[in-house]
Amino acid sequence: MRILVCIKQVPDSEGFITINESNGWIDFEGSYRMNRFDEFALEEALRIGEKMPVDSIDALSVGLPRAESTIRKALEMGASRGIHIITEESSDMSAFETASLIASFAREERYDLILAGVMAEDDMQSQVGPMIAEMLGYPSASSVIYEEIDPERRTLFAEREIEAGKRECLEMKLPVLLTIQSGINRPRYPALSNVLRARNQEITTIPSQSLQKPVKRERMVALRYPEALSKGIVLEGNEGEKAGSLLQILHEKSII
Amino acid sequence: MKGTMETRQIAVIAEHRNGVLTPGTLETLSFARELESLLNLKTNIVIAGKSIEGLTYDIAGMTGMDVIGIEGENLDLYNCESYLAALEKPLEELDPAYICTPHSAMGYDLAPRLAVRLKASCITAVEKIGKKGKSVLFSRSQWNGKIILEKEPVVKRAVLTVLSGSWPEPDGRPEKTGEVTIITIAAETKNSRTIEIREAVRTGFDLAKAEVIVSAGKGLGKEENLPLIYKLSELFPKSAVGASRAACDAGWLDYGHQIGITGKTVSPKLYVACGISGSTQHIAGMKGSQMVVAINTDPAAAIFSVADYCIVEDLATFIPCVIEKYHKLFSSHKESE
Ligand SMILES: Cc1cc2nc3c(=O)[nH]c(=O)nc-3n(C[C@H](O)[C@H](O)[C@H](O)COP(=O)(O)OP(=O)(O)OC[C@H]3O[C@@H](n4cnc5c(N)ncnc54)[C@H](O)[C@@H]3O)c2cc1C
Ligand SMILES: Nc1ncnc2c1ncn2[C@@H]1O[C@H](COP(=O)(O)O)[C@@H](O)[C@H]1O
Repeated sequence: MRILVCIKQVPDSEGFITINESNGWIDFEGSYRMNRFDEFALEEALRIGEKMPVDSIDALSVGLPRAESTIRKALEMGASRGIHIITEESSDMSAFETASLIASFAREERYDLILAGVMAEDDMQSQVGPMIAEMLGYPSASSVIYEEIDPERRTLFAEREIEAGKRECLEMKLPVLLTIQSGINRPRYPALSNVLRARNQEITTIPSQSLQKPVKRERMVALRYPEALSKGIVLEGNEGEKAGSLLQILHEKSII
Repeated sequence: MKGTMETRQIAVIAEHRNGVLTPGTLETLSFARELESLLNLKTNIVIAGKSIEGLTYDIAGMTGMDVIGIEGENLDLYNCESYLAALEKPLEELDPAYICTPHSAMGYDLAPRLAVRLKASCITAVEKIGKKGKSVLFSRSQWNGKIILEKEPVVKRAVLTVLSGSWPEPDGRPEKTGEVTIITIAAETKNSRTIEIREAVRTGFDLAKAEVIVSAGKGLGKEENLPLIYKLSELFPKSAVGASRAACDAGWLDYGHQIGITGKTVSPKLYVACGISGSTQHIAGMKGSQMVVAINTDPAAAIFSVADYCIVEDLATFIPCVIEKYHKLFSSHKESE
């Protein structure tokens, strides 16, 4: 059993995002980390590895040189190999381009299972996983909240989350691609032994130019801030004054 | 000849459950209507299922749009592989410029694969249509709703998914009824089979009846802060505690508390969002609230765009401050000191 987990480095939601001066992309002040949904995906791969013999759990990221720290985090959690497809431009990389790069790498590797997150927290597209599956001809299921592999029959049973907590149950033949929904497990903290091992471990790097260059199918025309749809009133003053105003408003509206 | 601007079509892939179109599909039809009027196109509805002839005629009557019904034994329940196999040929023949579907569990499962298969562009979770010169632009939110991107397909076909709540459901019945075409296919699926749909686990927890919901998000920081949320909710009669998915994922609250597209939909008199960023998936579950108060340290948080009262503060200190002031102002019985 060979498993690939796709991990994306995303800006931490606590950071500060603005549209850059040329209006062409964003500026970000803050730290970068692993996409939360990908942490669940990696944890799921590690748990599969604890249940059955697994040859390799590879963690792959497409991104700028700084994405290396996220790949290292995956090694610390317990991935066996880190792969970095290095890109040079930081601006809008389409899901189709990302998926094409990952698929052209994964095609040769013949993974039995590919896991991705249900969406990336930054671009929120929910596209890359299913696109990879289509390019490789694997069956796929997105938003998976439970999975069970039958290694003898080479089948995978999955439950995907649909509206209001209902679940769609399906069975697929390996090789399979799943996109993982949060809550499927509780991601682990790296064990010290893995942290030490990860520190010096080699990461396979692949310049994106060496892979087949995909062509963009959509382009970004403009970036803007959301209109303040809100008729919202911003409470002013210090903390105590705001607390007072809030209570007064709720009292006037007979809520309190 | 197919493919000229005048004759190109829009196709809406309909999602249905228990013999009715989903609300997301109805909203997608309104989206298609707007696109039609901008570009002078014509919408066709494509629907797949096991025995859907009746439904197909109903839809043609209800919408006045032409409907292509695709029937097949293995189309009883949605399955990505069988839907792709069923839709591919009819869509190739129709050759629509835009293929639209709701951004639902079906939509985001199917759309990216369909786009790759049909060599189309793919833009998901579209919330607005714009026009700039000859270009039609589709807006979508990124970075937790803090910035909006306008995108334009640069190939001749695009698959679009429509964010729920962004268009109204169409009203009124058209005068004429649409044309119906029924196709029967024998698409076999080799690698994937949907077995059943399991109902949600009942949690016995009733958020729907609460008049006030105080919800905790990831901004709670740690489980030890949870009593703050409960204490705040206890200031209100008929109140309950809700949560974002991220707060549930952290193990602070049980999933029965989760509000949003994959949790509960609520419409209380008052919704207090504490440390919740305001992702579209969360907002979908609480935007029907009569009044929204948001407490968040980040003035740019998207939750503020749906809040009536915006409070930029750290919840860990602000909530105790509210509780203390409440007791000073309203408590007739002073707590024993
Ligand atoms: C298919 C799908 C379905 C989903 N369904 C749902 C759903 O039903 N419901 C749902 O909620 N989510 C859902 N999500 C997840 C959703 O995308 C977000 O990840 C989630 O809502 C984020 O939760 P949050 O706002 O609590 O966390 P974050 O986005 O991490 O936001 C935390 C917020 O807390 C603020 N903060 C930090 N510290 C403090 C402090 N001390 N005081 C005050 N504020 C503070 C931060 O500024 C930030 O705005 C779904 C996702 C997918 C892909
Ligand atoms: N640059 C990337 N590198 C590795 N995996 C990615 C990348 N972008 C997206 N993915 C994977 O695809 C999932 C969905 O991303 P998206 O389609 O961008 O919402 C993520 O959760 C990742 O698993």
